[in-house]
Amino acid sequence: MDTPVKPKPVPVVNPWAKPFWDAAREDKLVIQHCKDCGTNIFYPRIACPNCFSDNIEWIQASGKATIYTYTVVESNPPSAFIVDLPYVVAVVKLAEGVQMLSNIVGCKPQDVRCDMPVEVVFETLNEEFKLPKFRPVSK
Amino acid sequence: MSKLKGKVAFIGIGEVPTGRFPETAAIYHAIESAKLAIRDAGINKDEIDYVLPCAALFSPAFNTELVTCRIVEELGLKNVKKNCQVFAGGSSSTCATEIAASLINSGAASTILFVHADRLGTGVSLQGGIDLFAQAGISAEWEVPFGQHYSSIAAMSTMRYKHETGCTDEQMAAVCVSNRKWAELNPNAFFRKPLTLEEVMASKMLSTPLRAKMSNMLFDGGCAFIISSAERARAITEKPVYLLGEGGVVTHFVFSQESDVSRFGWARAGKAAFEMAGLTPKDMDIAEIYDSYPIYQMIGFEELGFAERGQGGEMFLKGDTWPGGRMPTTTNGGMLSQGHTGAGGACALMVETVRQLMGKAGDRQVKNAKFAVETAVGGTYMDAQVTILGTEIP
Repeated sequence: MDTPVKPKPVPVVNPWAKPFWDAAREDKLVIQHCKDCGTNIFYPRIACPNCFSDNIEWIQASGKATIYTYTVVESNPPSAFIVDLPYVVAVVKLAEGVQMLSNIVGCKPQDVRCDMPVEVVFETLNEEFKLPKFRPVSK
Repeated sequence: MSKLKGKVAFIGIGEVPTGRFPETAAIYHAIESAKLAIRDAGINKDEIDYVLPCAALFSPAFNTELVTCRIVEELGLKNVKKNCQVFAGGSSSTCATEIAASLINSGAASTILFVHADRLGTGVSLQGGIDLFAQAGISAEWEVPFGQHYSSIAAMSTMRYKHETGCTDEQMAAVCVSNRKWAELNPNAFFRKPLTLEEVMASKMLSTPLRAKMSNMLFDGGCAFIISSAERARAITEKPVYLLGEGGVVTHFVFSQESDVSRFGWARAGKAAFEMAGLTPKDMDIAEIYDSYPIYQMIGFEELGFAERGQGGEMFLKGDTWPGGRMPTTTNGGMLSQGHTGAGGACALMVETVRQLMGKAGDRQVKNAKFAVETAVGGTYMDAQVTILGTEIP
């Protein structure tokens, strides 16, 4: 059975997360920071998930991260990703302490390892979105 | 601590075979399972005063029928005061058990029927199933755009677990082999042919290091159970199966927000359940551990205390968890071999736990089983739910 190539899913943006996607369009990785308890926050919340304060600001992250865990998707992905096989899905931990899901790019999938240092790079999804992805830190 | 220890008991169970039944209506799986449970309990159907249908994923229209009392009407249940859906994904049966126990213990209900039915084997296509589970429970803002789906999730847990423990692919594959040994003895299981380590290791790579035969497959199926007060259970059944312990920990919604994807909340949830029951893992005759993928069965098994971290694989490999082994584990074959019916995977496991303790498990009966622990988890392994059941109240 032929599976038609489906368009890539775009992020369904929550209003309070809009600054994140606006910054990403300008190749900037931003996260939230609680001015009361000092917690760095990702993904964006309506109140600090630690102390419940509303006193939250946006800060620019360093873009440095390590790979907490990953997988090389080789078959049976969601329809829209069949054209991308093989691709790497990873949970990365930013230097600021928060975790996010992303793809590892800019290297052979088989060279990816747990705890590997990576840095952010932005890939254009469409006119509206750039997605933060990560590549191995160049030596 | 919960006051529900020993207050309620399972009095009846029902289950239809798991498989592909394109000619059968989805409602059949629900009402046939419920009918079997009512007859198993040996009660008059009109004693049921509360129905808790689980949710079905394959069709919103069918799910609406479950919500709008179709089971009550199809079975002609005349004294039902509430029909109310309880849904927590794979944790539904555990949540429903605790809710049912609370309702009975408070006097709000006397005889509660829980039913699960779904048609994910024939109600959706293979790719449709993959696509459904690339969205169900996965964040549309933070994960779907990166190609996340359930195979990649299980693979990332496996990858980190291997990284931290040195567990081999062979040890992980041994979980699949162990479950199949049990499914060979289970007439309601879909996969009943013997499975070898070599076959698992040679199957297609999905997402490294997860292979096709380490993945569950979606099927049609249904099951049901009935809970009443312990007092009433003693009056009407030879072997009431008491609720002894419950522990639960909700950890996350978005998988990548979980700080420990190779442990989750199992140790805490297990400790709470064992403390409530006044029992330890050593007292358990059976461990009915939620699988869906071998990594989650391995983590649950170890975190609950049936093996040191990183040592569980050897037990699955050596046969300790097989029929006749010293720690019978996931005795219906789990979702890996009985088949995955959506939220029904853990419903089937709960029914199997009760079945074993009632002594009704046929060829795979664990002899003289008195105490068993059962686990369940929903979403992207968002919670850790532990239930302890037994035929006596310690």
